[in-house]
Amino acid sequence: MAVLQWIQDLPISAAIAESDSLWWGYAWWLFVHAVGMGLTAGIGFIVCLRLLGVGQQIPLSSLRVLFRLFWVGFYLNLVSGTLLFMTDATGIARVWELYAKLVCLAFALIAMSRLRRFVDSTESDRAIPPSIQKTAVACLVLWLAVITSGRLIAYAVEARGAVA
Amino acid sequence: MLTPADLVHIHLLLNHFPTIGMIVGVGLFLLGLLNKSEELKRGAMAVVFAMALISLPTYMSGYSAQKSLRGVQSVSQDVISFHQRSALFALIVMEAAGVVAWYGLWRSRRHVSVGPRLTAAAVLLSVVTLGLMAGAANVGSEIHHPEILSDPKAAISTEGILAPRWLSSEFITKYQYSHPWAWKTLETIHFMGLCLLFGVVLVANLRLLGWMRNAPLVGFHRLLPWGVWGFVANSVTGMLFFIGQAFQYIENPAFHLKMLCVLLAGADVLYLTWHEEVWEMEAGATASALVKLLAASQLVLWIGVIYFGRMLPYIGNAF
Repeated sequence: MAVLQWIQDLPISAAIAESDSLWWGYAWWLFVHAVGMGLTAGIGFIVCLRLLGVGQQIPLSSLRVLFRLFWVGFYLNLVSGTLLFMTDATGIARVWELYAKLVCLAFALIAMSRLRRFVDSTESDRAIPPSIQKTAVACLVLWLAVITSGRLIAYAVEARGAVA
Repeated sequence: MLTPADLVHIHLLLNHFPTIGMIVGVGLFLLGLLNKSEELKRGAMAVVFAMALISLPTYMSGYSAQKSLRGVQSVSQDVISFHQRSALFALIVMEAAGVVAWYGLWRSRRHVSVGPRLTAAAVLLSVVTLGLMAGAANVGSEIHHPEILSDPKAAISTEGILAPRWLSSEFITKYQYSHPWAWKTLETIHFMGLCLLFGVVLVANLRLLGWMRNAPLVGFHRLLPWGVWGFVANSVTGMLFFIGQAFQYIENPAFHLKMLCVLLAGADVLYLTWHEEVWEMEAGATASALVKLLAASQLVLWIGVIYFGRMLPYIGNAF
């Protein structure tokens, strides 16, 4: 597709793809993406574990501040993920793992916002309803799926890159 | 940065620690059991945990020692291979003992005592580790001390049990090349473990730094084993990468820095697990300046682990 080629040929895409710099080149954005993953999926895991009964002495209301950090991680990954995509738009857009990841991510975000609404509500320090616990289980599975599909994008691009 | 010769020296220095350290650990366990002293048992667990950490660079630096002896006529490559396989077997049991010891330390905070079953498991694993470490060290000493070389055939007779083929680097490397999904699966698990470990590290240390102040520390204490499971997943998968492709990592400066961060963070974890006052902090309490410094260092160290891990192919030459 012409649009993908155009994105890939943008000066910023080429600069990142070709840079050997450990501070703003391709490797740096991969690192930022890993930290963002740690913040989003990591906080996701903790919130879900707490809702499923681990560390019950932590009042749910104290987790509210973590959601802010979750969104910091999310935006880090939105930026780093977009930049990484731009460096090889034609290659990455061809693998189904990318779309699987985006779909899983969308569902994970829906689940997270549902959990957040409960944590933010005045009911959060009472018993946790089963529906919220089910959402927490689904949320855990979805984050694992996001990590898996994200990890597999790299291998899929590598394997299918030769065809182009 | 560390030169190949430095790494050989590190191996020759560190290789004394697991055996001697485990003699101390088992000794403390026995004294603790005889005197019915929880403190001595906890001390033994701390020693075992520390030895489990030190054993990792001990094993890994062995590859540098092996490389330095390539083509040297007076040493037997078979003895080196035997040493390496028996060391890996000892390492696996050592790490299991380390995890059980950490769990015992963690549990003693929660239930006042370590508990008989956990103590029995820790003692048993420590005794087996000591035997295996001593055996591996003995074979290792025969690599370069021909004056004490025992009958090579006698050594080979135990090889099938104590140093099976599938613990050799060659076997694991071949498996990785012939099963492409293996590496992908290990990487995926490594990233999942990263998120779990980082999540626990993040929230527990942020609480110590003053976030979520309305939560008592005991709740975060309950989360710690989940972080440790993440660490276990990443040590197992990480060691499988290392064993399969040791020479991509052993002289890679990013790898040295990553391992340094892991070991320092591990020492922090031991201190914080041991330190009673931290976990007694109630809702609203603030940590001491020292504990805050340790909490901040934990966050920096684990981000350092991620940074140098991600940089393995870029600063160094690993894939």
